[in-house]
Amino acid sequence: MQKAIEEFRVQSRRLGMVEGVAAQVTSTSRKSRWHGRLFENFRNDFLDAVPHEVAQRGGKKNILRRNQFGVNLSGPVWIPKLFDGGRTTFFSLTYEGMREKTGRSSLNTIPTMAERTGDWSQVVDPAGEPLPIFDPASTATNPGYNSTQPLTTSNLQYQRNPFPGNVIPVSRLNPQAVAAAQLYPEPNSTAGPFFRNNYFVFSPEVNSANGFIGRLDHTVDEHHRLGGSFSHSKGLDGAAPVFLNAANPGPVVRDRQSERAGIEHTFTISPQRLNSLSIDVSSDRITNLPETVNGRVYPNYKMGAYLPMGRANAELRSARQVFSIAEGYSMRWRQHRLRMAARWFRDQVNIYSPTYPEGSYRFGSGLTSLPGINNTGHAFASFLLGQAEFAEQSVVQSPSYFRRSRYSLAMSDQWEVLKGLVFSFSLGLEMSGARQEKYDRQSTVALDVINPENGRPGALVAAGVGGQGRTFQPFLCKGEPSLGIAWNPLGGTRTVVRASYGRSYSAIPVYSSQWGTQAFNGSPAWVSPNPQLEPAAILTATVPPGGRTFPDLRPESANNTIADLVESTGKQPTYQSFGLSLERELPSSLLLTVGLGHAHGRNLLLGNSASNPNAIPLSALEYRDQLNDEAFNQAQRPYPQYQRFNIFSSWPEGRYQRDAGYLRLEKRSSSGLVLSTTYEVSKQMDNYSGPYGIQDYYNRSNEWALTSSNNPQRLTLTYSYEIPMGPNRLLFPVTDWRRYIVEGWSVSGVTTIVSGLPLALRPQFNNTGRVVDTLYVDVVPGVDPHAAEQTPERWFNPDAFAQPADFTVGDAARTHPSLRGPGAQNHDLSLNKRISLSIEKSVEFSMVGLNFINHANWADPDTTIGTASAPNVNAGRIISSRGGRVIQLGLRYSF
Amino acid sequence: MAGLLASGFAFAAPPEVRTPRLRVPFRALGEPVAATDVTVKLNGAPAKVARLLKPGDDLLLLIAVDFSGDLTLVDQARETLLKQIEALPPSVRVGLLRAGDDLRVVEEPGASRESIAAALQALTVTARPGLLNSLEATQQLADSIAAKAQVRVATLWISDSNVARYREDYTNPVVNSSDAGDMSRRFPEGLIQERIRQLSASLSRGETPVSLVHLQYLGDRLNTAYQTGLSDLVRASGGGGEFCRSVAEIPAAIEKAFGEISAQYTAEVEFRPSKIKRLDVAVEAGEREVRFRPRRRVPEPGSKKGSEE
Repeated sequence: MQKAIEEFRVQSRRLGMVEGVAAQVTSTSRKSRWHGRLFENFRNDFLDAVPHEVAQRGGKKNILRRNQFGVNLSGPVWIPKLFDGGRTTFFSLTYEGMREKTGRSSLNTIPTMAERTGDWSQVVDPAGEPLPIFDPASTATNPGYNSTQPLTTSNLQYQRNPFPGNVIPVSRLNPQAVAAAQLYPEPNSTAGPFFRNNYFVFSPEVNSANGFIGRLDHTVDEHHRLGGSFSHSKGLDGAAPVFLNAANPGPVVRDRQSERAGIEHTFTISPQRLNSLSIDVSSDRITNLPETVNGRVYPNYKMGAYLPMGRANAELRSARQVFSIAEGYSMRWRQHRLRMAARWFRDQVNIYSPTYPEGSYRFGSGLTSLPGINNTGHAFASFLLGQAEFAEQSVVQSPSYFRRSRYSLAMSDQWEVLKGLVFSFSLGLEMSGARQEKYDRQSTVALDVINPENGRPGALVAAGVGGQGRTFQPFLCKGEPSLGIAWNPLGGTRTVVRASYGRSYSAIPVYSSQWGTQAFNGSPAWVSPNPQLEPAAILTATVPPGGRTFPDLRPESANNTIADLVESTGKQPTYQSFGLSLERELPSSLLLTVGLGHAHGRNLLLGNSASNPNAIPLSALEYRDQLNDEAFNQAQRPYPQYQRFNIFSSWPEGRYQRDAGYLRLEKRSSSGLVLSTTYEVSKQMDNYSGPYGIQDYYNRSNEWALTSSNNPQRLTLTYSYEIPMGPNRLLFPVTDWRRYIVEGWSVSGVTTIVSGLPLALRPQFNNTGRVVDTLYVDVVPGVDPHAAEQTPERWFNPDAFAQPADFTVGDAARTHPSLRGPGAQNHDLSLNKRISLSIEKSVEFSMVGLNFINHANWADPDTTIGTASAPNVNAGRIISSRGGRVIQLGLRYSF
Repeated sequence: MAGLLASGFAFAAPPEVRTPRLRVPFRALGEPVAATDVTVKLNGAPAKVARLLKPGDDLLLLIAVDFSGDLTLVDQARETLLKQIEALPPSVRVGLLRAGDDLRVVEEPGASRESIAAALQALTVTARPGLLNSLEATQQLADSIAAKAQVRVATLWISDSNVARYREDYTNPVVNSSDAGDMSRRFPEGLIQERIRQLSASLSRGETPVSLVHLQYLGDRLNTAYQTGLSDLVRASGGGGEFCRSVAEIPAAIEKAFGEISAQYTAEVEFRPSKIKRLDVAVEAGEREVRFRPRRRVPEPGSKKGSEE
């Protein structure tokens, strides 16, 4: 034994394991302690399959040339003759670059060549019936109108003549609209139906990125350690144009830059006490680089289902910085582990974002319709006449500089109550200040201030003016408790039971938007007195006169606009969750986990499609066609001085509940197989989600329905397997040169199979006088909504639903309780081959395949329900599928 | 380094015996094994067992700790280690090493349990885990001791390491957040698997069985790959790995590891080097469950590696 101990002493000194004794190292061996990798990942369209959605349109693969490359190096810091970090100072540097040329494709609907000249003689509605275009100039009151009877073609309130031959005379076409329409490309697809889906876009895009991450770790002494990191990334997001001119409605070329930096000090006070301090800074900057003509971006024209012209937010400069300081102290006391933590955050957002600097014009079908009659008129026809139903312009005179501070304090204890039973408890205090603007350039509508113009509640207030503080929301401080139990029943080690409860809050984010600065940066709007009778604005070369000048701090200055409304009551999103699980070790290295979970939340932040504090109550539908009169319509709103409110994803009105059960089986074997599979059954309900919005803003319980993104069943399988080939292995145990081919292969994969999402049905038409933003369908009593034999041609029975009558709401739920879209599955695989060059050097070849079996998933069926006279022929049908195999080849040299 | 790694093939036979010997450590749980019950096969052929070191013979146990996280887990492990070390027979000498920034000797092997206990009590947690960076050095140290002395040698690692806390970037963090088409992180475990394979190749040249008690089972994808890799590494060495899913499991896991180490034997078998560089090793000990390193590398015939002592 003595000999062994002597050898221990000799070797431990030789290897530098003894304090104060340097290892026998040379410059070569120092360098040999540097490790790293060089890598290249390569993608090319010849490796990929044609996406199913493209193949169905007869399209080809998009071009793709992509190289992602980089290098990593890490080890002790050593600068010859200057610094030898030895065993105390270590670095890690990673560089990664990307160069990509790709193409984007999409199928859209644009006006036909005939429509552009005003010829609507061939145009049909979704049922294939002729679509009449009426002349707004011929509008006349119908003296025989009986207001006590429903408005029908035989009881019209207004009479209007169709254009002869359904052709708009050239003399009537708006010159600005005609010039704009020439910027549309020619239709190039006949996907249909009925001239729809007539423009297939296939255009190139060039993207690039460069970035690096650097880290440094330094051990000062036994008790003090310092760590630092810095990263930088700069990327250019190319944007595939949809049109090759300034009216391009596609995304904008975007320059992105981000930096992260942090330092951390760890102080080991004693074996039982530990202190850590960290300071972090992050910065993300985005600059849009739009196409311009004479320095101006193109106006935005929206025309119903047709591709718009121009776009929102073409000009954008945004910078977001987050500073944080965190202090943590941990100590052990008897059977308790105590931890105290404090953290301070500072959010800064500098943003210049004029949404529509050259104006935005919305064209509806109403002005070319037979007033009050569905399925007449067309938005593009109204555009050709230059008659917009709504127009607005963004006037932004200066960037906004938003600031906010947040604080958190937390104390936690982990206590081993009994052998095998550990109880953990924590209590946090989350404190959040409200958003401030550096120069107090922010405003909101205060719902409790009387508007001088109409004497009704609701007037604009500006920060720091007239007794208003610098912010609009209170300082919030909430307690966040959590409890947890881990129990090994009967002191065993093969079974663990866990239970948990947690309650938490979140603060309203500081968004990268100039929302809430309406007194300083406004969007003057032009609203039609009646979108079926009078235009809001006539299309001209410039924005219509009548805009406001800024700053405009008058209480009534936001009247007749979509007014920014900042929530000021201090309601915060609140989340609670409960969990219970049982883990059991089984023979053959199997681990089984069975669990149940419940979570619910309230005061969740909703956006404009799910919440509208200025919505017209549904009871106003009794006024029927009177609602098309803008003044009357506006008068029905709770705050009639405003069109509506812009709440920008900040209105705390959402609620959800999720219940789930899951079963997870993990297998780790010494034969190189790792397998984990999870099956989850869940049900999630809420009162806000959905692709289209909600129907009744004032009765949230009516909106309680299945969450539109909830997959009730989900199976996930992940695996990794070292293929047993080569010397001393099960397969091909060759020992000659062939072993370099057969050994070192491994495969990893992820498979996900999910059931379908709840279907949200919607009617073809919404004739509710703009009372209801999102109309649901009616349920036809006694008709089974499920198809007798479910096929893509008939996924559900559309006859079970009906278009609600005019000025009535649908009685179906927001999402159907039992109809679901088709399920989906995805299989990703990675195949790797490692060639060992020496103990520390190797080359690895990899092939990553996303959807490697090239499986096509069905798209959801068409859920639009037409009228009895003009049914949607595609309702209930699945008309497309999606997905396609994508392959990446990689090569990595590790040393 | 290579010489030390290959020193498991040191020729520990008496000078009058010309046939070189190969040490084959193995662990046989259950009743003690008699030399006559032990069969060792090299590449399928039975090899003559010239000597068998058994439980009760001298054992040098190297305990290496790698504490970088939760104090609760560390304290539980510390308390259990103290109890287990206290209960060891006098024929066992215990040395204490600590990973972290680098592998360090905390306490040299000795008979005094008090000094080991004091050293353990004074151990602090480090900022970064060091297990992956220290396994090779521990193996070198243990193998060189086994090559020099007629004792059984074992290493036991106690670690709470999380793969995300290593100095090296095994997590493959996103560098360019603007790169929407990045597929290289779909299988993020590639880097840690590569490191494990590298270690596996390096450690396959060693001899000493490695035991590991990991104090915190983590179920995320990266740590699953990391812990599975560790498990494979220690099993391939003839040792064993335990991964604790709660604080309550730590005492039993450490106790089990000590039990397996106590049941460690070392057979010295006669071995004739040949051109074949790899050896398939098989050990049988009656009906008992036996753990051993199933694959060994053979040093170059006539090289210094194969002719030490």
